[in-house]
Amino acid sequence: MIVKKETHKKELEILKEDFEDLKTYFDELREILPVSICTVGSRGIVVDINKAAEALIGYKTLEIIGQSIEVFFYPKEDITILLKKIEEEGRIKTKETTLITSNNEKISVSVSVSLRKDSKGNPIGYFLTIINISKIKKYQKQLEIRAKELNKSRTALMNILEDIDDARKIAEEERDKTKAIITNFADGLLVVDKENKIILINPEGEKILGVSGGEINGIILKGITEFPVLNKLIKLLEIKESKDDLFRKELFLETPKKHSLEITTISITRDEETLIILHDISREKLIEKMKTEFVSLAAHQLRTPLSAIKWTLKMFLDGDLGKITEEQRDFIEKTYQSNERMIILINNLLDVTRIEEGKYLFKPTFTQIENVLQFVLNSLKEIIKRKKIKLDFEKPQKKLPKIKIDVDKMRLAINNLLDNAIKYTPVGGQITVSLRHNGKEIEFLVKDSGVGIPKDQQGRIFTKFFRGTNVVQIETDGTGLGLFIAKNIIETHGGKIWFESEENKGTTFYFTLPIKEEFQEFLKEF
Amino acid sequence: MPKKILLVEDEEIMIDLLQKKLTQEGYEISVARNGEQGLTMMREINPVLILLDIIMPKLNGFEVMEEMQKDKELKKIPIIVVSNSGQPVELDRAQKLGAKDWLIKTEFDPQEVIKKVKKQIGE
Repeated sequence: MIVKKETHKKELEILKEDFEDLKTYFDELREILPVSICTVGSRGIVVDINKAAEALIGYKTLEIIGQSIEVFFYPKEDITILLKKIEEEGRIKTKETTLITSNNEKISVSVSVSLRKDSKGNPIGYFLTIINISKIKKYQKQLEIRAKELNKSRTALMNILEDIDDARKIAEEERDKTKAIITNFADGLLVVDKENKIILINPEGEKILGVSGGEINGIILKGITEFPVLNKLIKLLEIKESKDDLFRKELFLETPKKHSLEITTISITRDEETLIILHDISREKLIEKMKTEFVSLAAHQLRTPLSAIKWTLKMFLDGDLGKITEEQRDFIEKTYQSNERMIILINNLLDVTRIEEGKYLFKPTFTQIENVLQFVLNSLKEIIKRKKIKLDFEKPQKKLPKIKIDVDKMRLAINNLLDNAIKYTPVGGQITVSLRHNGKEIEFLVKDSGVGIPKDQQGRIFTKFFRGTNVVQIETDGTGLGLFIAKNIIETHGGKIWFESEENKGTTFYFTLPIKEEFQEFLKEF
Repeated sequence: MPKKILLVEDEEIMIDLLQKKLTQEGYEISVARNGEQGLTMMREINPVLILLDIIMPKLNGFEVMEEMQKDKELKKIPIIVVSNSGQPVELDRAQKLGAKDWLIKTEFDPQEVIKKVKKQIGE
C-alpha cells in the first residue's frame, strides 16, 4: 500500500513537473509571439495580455487588467458585436477596426476572436489576437491611389491610342488618296530627294520616259545615267538657277515616242524633296503649229490681192491709168494708205508666225548700229514733224564698235520701239533717243512723254496681240505685235529688252546688245 | 525697135498692170501664164529681160531658173524676180540661180519696177 502510495506521489510529482514545464513553455511562447494576444473574460474584461499586446496598445499588463476590452477600440460596438457573434456561431471571427493606444493614436488593426473554454467545454472568455495592419492599410491606400492613377492613365492612354488609331486611319486614307491621285494622274510625276535621287515615279511618268517597273527608282538625277532619256531631263534641270523658283521649261523627247513636254519642278516637304511634273503638251504644240501654219497660209494668200490693190491704186495716183480729179486723187490716196496699213499688219503676222515656226532667219553682218538707228529716224522724220514732237538724239560720245546684226530685223525692232513712242506721245511732246556702250554691251534707249503703260498691264506688254487699254482708245489700228517682234529680234541677237513706265508721264524702252565673242559665234548658226 | 521683156506671171491683174506700165515705158511685153510656158516663150522671143514670179502653176519660178541655168543661151538673160514673198533663204536661192534682182510686190510699186528694169537693161 505504502509502495502504491509512494508510486502515486511520484507519478503526481512527475505530472506536476510536466505541467509546470508546459506552463513555462506556454508562457514563453506567448511572450515571444509577435502577435498581440489579449485574454478576455466572459464579460469582456481583460484578464491578461502578452508582450506584443503591451507594445501595441502602450499599456503594461497590470494597467490593463480589469478594464473592459471595448474601450481600446473605436467604435466600441465593433468588439461588442464581434464577441456576440462568436458566441452564436462559435467560429473564429476576424474584423478590421481601429485600436486606440495609450497616447491616443489610432491604429488600423485586424482583430480575431476565438472562444476560450474550460476543460468541460464551457465558454469562459475569449482570446483576441490583434494584428497591426496600419502599414498594410497605408500601403493598401497608396495602392488604391496608385491603382486609381493607373486606371486614369490607362483611360488616358486608351484615349490616346484611340486618337492615334483615328489619326493613323486618316493618314492611311490620305496616303491612299495621294497614292491614287499620283497613280492615276494624267501627268507624269517624279519625286526626287535632296540628293536628286528618284524616290517615286508614277505610271504615266514611266510611260512618258519609256521605263517600267520602277527600274529608275533610286537613280540620281545628276551627270550621266544609263538612261539617255533621263540625261536629257538632267540637262534641262541643270538650267534651273534657284531652288525656290518655280521652274518651267519645255523638253522635246524623241523616244520612246515623240513627245513635247512641259517640265515643272516644285519644292515639296520643306525643300527636302522636289516634285517634277512631266506634262505632255504634244497636242498643244500640234494645235499651235497648225494655227501658225494657218495664219502663215492666210497671210500669204492675202498678200497677193493686197499687192494688186496697191499697184492699181499707185498707177491711178501716178496717172498711168489716165487723168483723175483732185477729189478722186484724195480718195485713192486714202484708200492706198489703208491698204498700206493692211500690208503692215499682214507682214507683222507673218513675222510672228516665222518667229513661232523658228524660221525667223537672221543674216548677220558687221554693222555700225548708229547707222541703223539713223536710217529709222530718217524714215520717221515726216511724222515726227507732223506731230510737232521734239526729238533729242544723244549720240554716243565715242564711236561704237561694229557688231554683227541682221540689219533688216534690227531696223524693224528699232522702228517698232520708235513708232510706239511717236504714236503714244501727244502732239508737242518730247522723245529722247540714246545710244552708248560700256565695253561689254551697246545700250539703246527711247524715252517718251506719252500715255505710259498702266501698272496692272506691264507684265503682258511683250505678249503678242496685247495692247494697253489706254492706247486702244487713242490708236485703233495697232496690231499688238510690234513689241513681241522687237523682243524676239533683240533676244535672238543675244540682247535684253525692258522698260520703265508711269501712266500719263511716259515710257522708256531699253535694249542692250552684247559685243562679246560668244554672241558672234551664236549668230553664225543662222 | 522696142526691147522685148518676158513677163512670167499667173495673177491676171498683175499682168494687166505690169503690161500697161511697161508698154507705156516703150517696151514690148510678152506674157507667159506659167513656168512651162515661160521657158517655151523665152526660147522663141529671146527677151532682153525676164520678170519672173515664183509661185506659179506647172513649173514654179525656181524651177524655171534651174532649167535656164542648164541652157547656155538662156542663162545669159537677166532675171528680176517679182514675188509676194521675200525670205532670206528664197533670196539666196534665187541669187545662186542667177537672179539679178528681187522685188517684193507689197513693198514696191510699178514705178519702182520700171527703175529696176531700166537698171538691168542698162538704160
